[in-house]
Amino acid sequence: MSTVNTVNSAGRSYLREFGSAMLAYSIAVPVSLYILQANPGASWRVLIALLPVVPALFALWAFVRYLGRTDELQRRIQLEGLALGFGGAGILTFSYGFLENVGFPHLSYIYVFPLMIALWGVGVAFANRRFR
Amino acid sequence: MKNTLKVLRAMRDWSQADLADRLDVSRQTINALETGKYDPSLPLAFKIAHLFGQPIEAIFQPEPNGIAPPDE
Repeated sequence: MSTVNTVNSAGRSYLREFGSAMLAYSIAVPVSLYILQANPGASWRVLIALLPVVPALFALWAFVRYLGRTDELQRRIQLEGLALGFGGAGILTFSYGFLENVGFPHLSYIYVFPLMIALWGVGVAFANRRFR
Repeated sequence: MKNTLKVLRAMRDWSQADLADRLDVSRQTINALETGKYDPSLPLAFKIAHLFGQPIEAIFQPEPNGIAPPDE
């Protein structure tokens, strides 16, 4: 086959770029925590605390690029995944916020994004099955 | 929507991957189209029609219980 399938190459680039960003993230978190613990009084602690956000931004950029380059069915599947991630995480955190009014322990904002990503993944898996 | 994609593809002895490459979509998209799980956008339908040298309505037909075409 002489024609180049840009959808397949978009998928491969996405996996490579997203995977690299996640690998960088998994290194950035312990590095950031280690530097913060070693420098309790430094003025630049805010920047170091935000270090893991940099690879997360690269992951987001990889995803946006993928959405622009993939085909219409993959976009539809991603829409359904994002809908579950957005709606599900929104309803869950919103509900938990009300439960805090009746004494449930306060949870950190840091759990919101992983929850969204997990539900997004579940939504994409379900949509993929439906269109298989 | 029903379609004759699978027959048209078989007549040319193309695999799903071959057709996917010619239309620049994923193989999953070809499978979802052939099994009627996904209806293509108008641009993709035109691309398919052009590739097989047939009008869109010769390849895609609405379901019998779908919306009927308007009376002349």
